[in-house]
Amino acid sequence: MELLSLFDITFFLLVAFGTLVGIIFGAIPGMTATMAVAVCLPLTYALGLHNGLALLLGLYVGGISGGMVPAVLINIPGTPSSITTTFDGYPMAQKGEGEKALRICVIASVFGGLVSAAVLFLFAPLLADFSIKFSYVEKFLIILLALSVIASLSNSMLVGIFSGVIGVWLSLIGDYSTTDGGNGKTRLMFDFMEPYLFEGFSLLPVLIGIFGISTILLEAEKGIKSEVSGKSVKVSKDAGFSLSIFKGSLTNLTRSSFIGTFVGLLPGVGGSAASVLAYTQEKNLSRDSSQMGKGAPQGIMASESANNALTGGALIPLLSLGIPGDSTTAVLIGAFTLQGIQVGPLFIPENTETWYVMMTALVFANIVMFFLMFYAIKHIAKVVLVPKHILFPIIVMMCVVGAYAINYGIMFDVWTLLIFGVVGYLIQKVGLEVAPLIIGFILGSQAEVYFVKSLESAGTFTTFFTKSPIAVVLWLLILASVVFSVLMSRKNRAKQLQNIAS
Amino acid sequence: METGLSSLLSISVDFENSHLFFPTIVSWIMAVLFVIVLATKVAPFLVAVKKGERSLPILGEPMDAWRFFGTLALIAAYFYLMAVVGNLFPYTGYGFLIVSIVFVLLMSLMYMHKWTKKSLIIVATNAVVAPSLVWLILAKLFAITLP
Repeated sequence: MELLSLFDITFFLLVAFGTLVGIIFGAIPGMTATMAVAVCLPLTYALGLHNGLALLLGLYVGGISGGMVPAVLINIPGTPSSITTTFDGYPMAQKGEGEKALRICVIASVFGGLVSAAVLFLFAPLLADFSIKFSYVEKFLIILLALSVIASLSNSMLVGIFSGVIGVWLSLIGDYSTTDGGNGKTRLMFDFMEPYLFEGFSLLPVLIGIFGISTILLEAEKGIKSEVSGKSVKVSKDAGFSLSIFKGSLTNLTRSSFIGTFVGLLPGVGGSAASVLAYTQEKNLSRDSSQMGKGAPQGIMASESANNALTGGALIPLLSLGIPGDSTTAVLIGAFTLQGIQVGPLFIPENTETWYVMMTALVFANIVMFFLMFYAIKHIAKVVLVPKHILFPIIVMMCVVGAYAINYGIMFDVWTLLIFGVVGYLIQKVGLEVAPLIIGFILGSQAEVYFVKSLESAGTFTTFFTKSPIAVVLWLLILASVVFSVLMSRKNRAKQLQNIAS
Repeated sequence: METGLSSLLSISVDFENSHLFFPTIVSWIMAVLFVIVLATKVAPFLVAVKKGERSLPILGEPMDAWRFFGTLALIAAYFYLMAVVGNLFPYTGYGFLIVSIVFVLLMSLMYMHKWTKKSLIIVATNAVVAPSLVWLILAKLFAITLP
């Protein structure tokens, strides 16, 4: 009963508002859940911790879900994670079954979202409990593992690792903070930068720049063409939907939800991997996959349940280890820091209230998402057509507010936006990977502290191998991720050669 | 042999220079990776560019230079002027409000492909309403610092 006293009507209204705004962002092609969270951050500055979380989690769930709308209606995934929804959703819309397809999406989404929330609820405290015993050595190895997993899932492992190391390098700019037991001296910069960069680049302006400003630069380069012009958005009125479509799909839904949760757990892996994996598994394992790609409900179910299951999955490493599971949770980590909360093994045991509040917000956001999208889908579908020349200036403006207010009015944080907007643009242009770079940037300064402190106390590099059995297991996992990546790239290469040969 | 190996792996971190210890390692790793990337990815790519099979990113691609560089220039001017105007009216957020209205208007106009009377009215209204709303809610209602 005590728990109930934590909630008031504002809390639930904020979740609902966040979900709605998230859906709108997700539904606009090119805008993602990450952007929704980044742009709405300033709103949370004035809210308390619990209400801020309510808003952010609503945005997260809504943003991931909203991507289905343009995927089905105009064949453009609103977010990368709904790419496989287009395979079957759009053919259905063309057959005049748009509304039916969207409703299937919504139910699959809420299923995936709730399954992953349940996994999060059961699993995160266990993992936190386990990792509480970690010393600096294991903590450093966990970060190394996170980076190697992200890198091994990148298109090219070499490029993935390189991007991650660049991220770590960028995070080291500034002083070796005395609060972490450092000596307070600055490095990796020239003297004239010291007034601006003494504490390095602030995390949130960097993230907002990379996810907000560089998206706009990429679009500007293409001339802000309206992808949706000439396409009409029609949600046909059809009575073809009934729950019986889901008969016999429980295996598919459950499998896809668990795939989504698992992919979410892996650090830095985006939603597209989750839905693609779930989709191909359904294709391989289902009894009849002949209709998939031509408008089969089972395809949409796999895709949407998997991408919504990401939400709970990505929060597991965030809350139990302090390692973000995807780019949106990376922004969330910044929002937590802002509220004075350090996520990590101690988070759940020390903030039990906050933990239950988060779970409530997550489940409630899924429910709100369901009702909003199930009953108001026709109205929401129209936002797909909001022109970008209206939207983009507003986004830049919100980015400015977010960056400026983060440290109570530092103009350099605003310039950081532009610097990393351009950096993010260049990274994506030359083919480096954003996700490993971001994760490297977030974890880099902690990695330094763990690494240096381990060596200071042990006095030898062998401590990283001999400290504990857990350390050995972590090394084996790192090795496994590298081997996995090498095998995958061999397989892909063989496949490519085969394709060329045939 | 064993003592040789363990003395090779033993290390003591000098506190005075401990701020350089990890960055030096990372810089070296980054440099080595950069060389490998150059050799295995960039060099073959440049060869392909020379043969005309691939095109250079950014330089070799078609781009809307006017909108791209316009965006960069506008954003830079926006950030700069915000602080300048903000200093004229400290602690009010007017710098943000006034410069944002101009910025939103100009950026919308630059991005618009077809100028019609109706769309111009929408753009102008948006340019006034959106920043004012943000300013009202954030600066006035929530008392968040704005330039």
